[in-house]
Amino acid sequence: MEIKVFFFGILGDIAKTGFKHYRNITSFHDLEHRIEDDYPEFVHYTYRIAVNNEITDEKPDLKDGDQVALMPPFSGG
Amino acid sequence: MSENILIEGPVSQAVILNGLDGFNQYPDAGGISIFIGKVRNDVVSGKYVQAIEYSAYEALVIKEAEKIFSSVKEEFPEVKLIKVFHSVGIVNAGEISMAAIVAAIHRDQAMQACKKIVELVKVKLPIWKKEIYTDLTYMWKRDNLA
Repeated sequence: MEIKVFFFGILGDIAKTGFKHYRNITSFHDLEHRIEDDYPEFVHYTYRIAVNNEITDEKPDLKDGDQVALMPPFSGG
Repeated sequence: MSENILIEGPVSQAVILNGLDGFNQYPDAGGISIFIGKVRNDVVSGKYVQAIEYSAYEALVIKEAEKIFSSVKEEFPEVKLIKVFHSVGIVNAGEISMAAIVAAIHRDQAMQACKKIVELVKVKLPIWKKEIYTDLTYMWKRDNLA
């Protein structure tokens, strides 16, 4: 399946892009590994996940076309 | 209610005043509490903050703001109307980056609910800020708990 991943805050700086398409993804676990391979520095940061504009604290079951956002701690205000 | 939360650049006085217009339709609301947040010219490790650049996950900001507004209205049943404005993009030191306006039947709930809204916006809305210093270096702020 193909997943579009958005990088917010400092993660976007590290990735040097706001989003990236990942193809042939088999699971969220697989996606995590692919992202870590691309951006090893991410392991130094905490972030939450949103899938299709819903924040989740679980490892989500992904389907083709899902949009996943990686969100470091919020700092608005 | 929450579709106009994000404002490009600083939140202007005009935006805040226009935001107050909608409150006329609640004659039973006797108290309006307003919080205005500005970018401070802090000194961080000897560097002066020149501006903050805010970025946001817009679709999720709208969704999470609705949840915040609902929970605050549940906690403070006298609340009649809530409006929040928050900057995205560059806001210079001294400029306004956030405003919250809350109307309630009595002032006590208006002030308490306004305080709660501000606290929740800081920890619940997917917004990030980057401090830009006068030497043009920058640092991402990580001060709120998500």
